[in-house]
Amino acid sequence: MMTCVWCGRAVTPSVTLATLWHWQPLVAPEVCAACRARLRPLHAPQCPRCARQQTTAQVCHDCARWGDAWVNHAIFPYDATLKAYMQQYKFQGDYRLRVVMQPYLRQALAQETYDLLVPIPVTAGTWLTRGFNQVTGWLTDQPFQQVLTVDDAHKPRPQSSKTRQERLRTPQPFQLTPNATKILPNQHVLLLDDVYTTGRTLRHAAAQIYLGGAKAVTSLTLAR
Amino acid sequence: MDKSQLFGRRLPLTQAPAGGHNIPALRQVNGRWQCQRCHQWVGPTDQLPHGIPYCRHCLNLGRLTTHTKLYTIPEPNQFATLTSSPLRWQGQLSPQQETAAQAVLRHTQAKRDQLLWAVTGAGKTEIGFPALAWALQQGWRVAWTSPRVDVCLELAPRLAQAIAVPQTVLYGGQPVPYAYCPLTICTTHQLLRFEAAFDWLIVDEVDAFPLATSPLLQLAIQRAQKPTGSHLYLTATPGQDLQRQIRRHQLAVTYLPLRYHGYLLPPLRVKLVGDWRRQLDQRRLPGKLIRQVRRYQQTHQRYLLFVPHVQDLARVQAALQHAGLAGGVTVHAADPKRQAKVQAFRDHHVNGLLTTTILERGVTFPAVCVLILGGDDPVFATSALVQIAGRVGRQRDHPGGDVLCYATSQPRTIQRAQAMINALNRRGRRLGGRRP
Repeated sequence: MMTCVWCGRAVTPSVTLATLWHWQPLVAPEVCAACRARLRPLHAPQCPRCARQQTTAQVCHDCARWGDAWVNHAIFPYDATLKAYMQQYKFQGDYRLRVVMQPYLRQALAQETYDLLVPIPVTAGTWLTRGFNQVTGWLTDQPFQQVLTVDDAHKPRPQSSKTRQERLRTPQPFQLTPNATKILPNQHVLLLDDVYTTGRTLRHAAAQIYLGGAKAVTSLTLAR
Repeated sequence: MDKSQLFGRRLPLTQAPAGGHNIPALRQVNGRWQCQRCHQWVGPTDQLPHGIPYCRHCLNLGRLTTHTKLYTIPEPNQFATLTSSPLRWQGQLSPQQETAAQAVLRHTQAKRDQLLWAVTGAGKTEIGFPALAWALQQGWRVAWTSPRVDVCLELAPRLAQAIAVPQTVLYGGQPVPYAYCPLTICTTHQLLRFEAAFDWLIVDEVDAFPLATSPLLQLAIQRAQKPTGSHLYLTATPGQDLQRQIRRHQLAVTYLPLRYHGYLLPPLRVKLVGDWRRQLDQRRLPGKLIRQVRRYQQTHQRYLLFVPHVQDLARVQAALQHAGLAGGVTVHAADPKRQAKVQAFRDHHVNGLLTTTILERGVTFPAVCVLILGGDDPVFATSALVQIAGRVGRQRDHPGGDVLCYATSQPRTIQRAQAMINALNRRGRRLGGRRP
């Protein structure tokens, strides 16, 4: 019997005439229909800059305050469902849950135009405790370049435990890897992160990547 | 870190404490990894990058991988010696309760595994008090556990008042940190953090979800108990498995077939109805049920209407309104207003409550009748039906009431529930029980 990786309930493969006719093996989906239904993607109207869900299609208050022309795309609103998912996947460290988001990421990446995919890195300390980078876990076979590193000293406590003001004051935590200056020049870079909250992290990362010679930087996040 | 934090526990730590010995958190048995905390098998795909296996079954208690080590210090029973009984409870047990309490105490002194089979509303907690006081006076480490967190939360203040020993309360998301105490009150999940710690384990509502169906939790009870220890199960509705253990004399049993007020249990009556699900699709309900609800509403009799699934709640409510009746209030497990709605019913603000099996046990409403729609649904196990029937007649001034089960058929679950109530009533009658 197959069980859903997320809720643990039993999943039965659907048997249709087509599967019988083509004599395919019965494959139960890894995520049950009820869990998939809980995930509701973002839809219009959204902020054209940060992809926030809102009632108008105008630039949102926070993006107006940034005053730049940053473009972020996101897949899901950061609602109770996504919070529960991130809690189990990222904070409890349930790496198996990456398969829930892999199909959504694959579809979203296929719609993006970019030359180079750069996931936001995790610190060495996080690697030791969590054991994985939550962002690269969602990638299946898409090529990416790890041109950024992040220092433990710059991240004494996690972003998610800070207030908006504290987050905005965060100093630059990223550095470029030595090979970055060979890879980056004249590339359109797509940054990949889990959640866009204030936009601080992504802009710090973008600043370093521009220094490396990239011609454009945009971003894709799982949630906004 | 204080050494006492590790007495009889099994905790993942990053640095070795003095005097603690450790085992790897995951062990390979015949090519498969087994978690040493919950003893479940790690799935072949449950791996971190670089192929590091981790256990998903007890993830809520903190992730265990092959790099984790579990530390423990054998339980030393380092408690202050009690010169007198710690029992402060001033209440009075009825003669039947007293007999049961003495029997429980005898079995405890003989260190026998035992079951207290007392009908719903018999006062099981108080019956355990004499034995609990005796055990704590012996310097035993005791845990009072239940699969339901609400049972633990309700119990902790009562025990704190009744028994004068330090106690610690453990459940998921508790605000107070763990402390080493002679008396531990916790959910059965928390027992996974203990290793051969308790001389005596009391398991309240042993047949409740999820303990009854979870081998993980049943194992946790076994392992939290010392090899020399014993346990006491409390329930009104032991499952087939426990009943088998009684027949084989593996479990000493104390019966208390009478409620504290001395009346028998109200019988479960079945009303056969047609295919009520198809009727519900057309926003109709069986005529028998409609007439019964109308009778209750006219006489201002309060009632609980149980339905099998959360999805049925709104539809049954709509069907009642369609028939020109007050729909009542619906309550289910994930209802954010659950507490408030139950309280409103308790305070007589609403006359009828539509609910699922979440209200099957642990709640007392005075002078209430019970209707079960679709009692033949597998959701209503034998124990659930007996517990639901046990909501009726819990007050001395209202010892009776209807328990009506509307079903399309009479499956074995209903027959067994009726047989269990009849058997308990037969025993109760011998003790002088009266019909309500």
